[in-house]
Amino acid sequence: MMESGCDREQLRDFAFDELAVPARAAMERHLAGCEACAAELAQIQLTTAALRVLPDREIPQRIAFVSDKVFEPSRAVRLFSGFWNSGARLAFVSACVLAAAIVFSAYRRPAEIRSVSPSAGNATLSRDELSREMDARINKAVSDAVARVHEEDARVMKAALESANHKAEQQRRTLMVAMSEQMNMLQKRLGVFREYAMAGPERNSGSDQ
Amino acid sequence: MIFRAVEDADLIVRARRGDVEAFNLLVSRWEKRVFNYLLRLTASPDDSLDLSQDVFLKAYQNIRKLDDPARFGPWLFRIAHNEACSEFRKRRPEAHEDAAALADREAAPGIALDLSLAVTAALDRLTSEQREAVVLKVYQGFKFEEISEILGAPVSTVKSRLYTALDLLKEELAPAKTRGTK
Repeated sequence: MMESGCDREQLRDFAFDELAVPARAAMERHLAGCEACAAELAQIQLTTAALRVLPDREIPQRIAFVSDKVFEPSRAVRLFSGFWNSGARLAFVSACVLAAAIVFSAYRRPAEIRSVSPSAGNATLSRDELSREMDARINKAVSDAVARVHEEDARVMKAALESANHKAEQQRRTLMVAMSEQMNMLQKRLGVFREYAMAGPERNSGSDQ
Repeated sequence: MIFRAVEDADLIVRARRGDVEAFNLLVSRWEKRVFNYLLRLTASPDDSLDLSQDVFLKAYQNIRKLDDPARFGPWLFRIAHNEACSEFRKRRPEAHEDAAALADREAAPGIALDLSLAVTAALDRLTSEQREAVVLKVYQGFKFEEISEILGAPVSTVKSRLYTALDLLKEELAPAKTRGTK
């Protein structure tokens, strides 16, 4: 028999692992000195061990009713699921990856400049050095771009002048040819007129006779 | 066990969004426990299988009503308890099978038959409420608070049923185990 001071319910809670940590520790101390409670605990453990002799049985048939059409999700859910399991998802995910790569690349760019800079050596560049180097590179790039623009402008201007000169020369030559032809024509007419004038008095006198 | 709980919670969230595969996975994880719980209450494999089917159907239909995914186990067993109660109400006039028949059905290979017989007979002598408390605590390992949720009864009632059953079982099984394991 258990002693009157023993808490039987607490002992059973202890046996079923339902006591909080402080109460559990107190019960362990009590069990160390109370034979009646220790015997009661042993009896409970023996009983539960006997109950567990009966094993769980395997289910004779798998439960698989959810594949039935009646239990399919709603149209909206299926549409969303269809989108989420389709090529659209792939495109969406690809766009996200691309965006992430662009952002990552933008943040990584200064580090890349540092790593390829010959002046940097294997030492880490300070922020000012990095800034100066970036400014120098930007200035050089701008100068190169301006020079390229000037060069291109000069080339275009030269080509335009050459074209204008060529056109003027052609017009001059055409005019010269036209004037030459006019001159020839006038000389021929003058020759004819002179012959007519020289032969005129003789014809006039012959007709008078 | 913690990882399992986390995974179950994830599956429940997916099932609530209509993911049938997630729910099927939950079924495959819980079907054996539910079936054995119902088998120990009804003592009929056929009825237990049918009831299990109904339990998971109702769980699927009502999973959006589950407030806390971490409480899925007690919530599912609450449905199973209700299904078992409905079944008992329907077949109450029928006679219970005798203890020998139950022992023959549940006898574990390699275990002395007289111990299996004694355990089955002892469980059969309990009231259905006491037996259910023992099944939920000893075989399913639920905490008192969870059993209270499953049965819809206060923790004090759960403990009273379990400890009364324990007193009866102790008288039957302690000597029986000594004989059976000789």
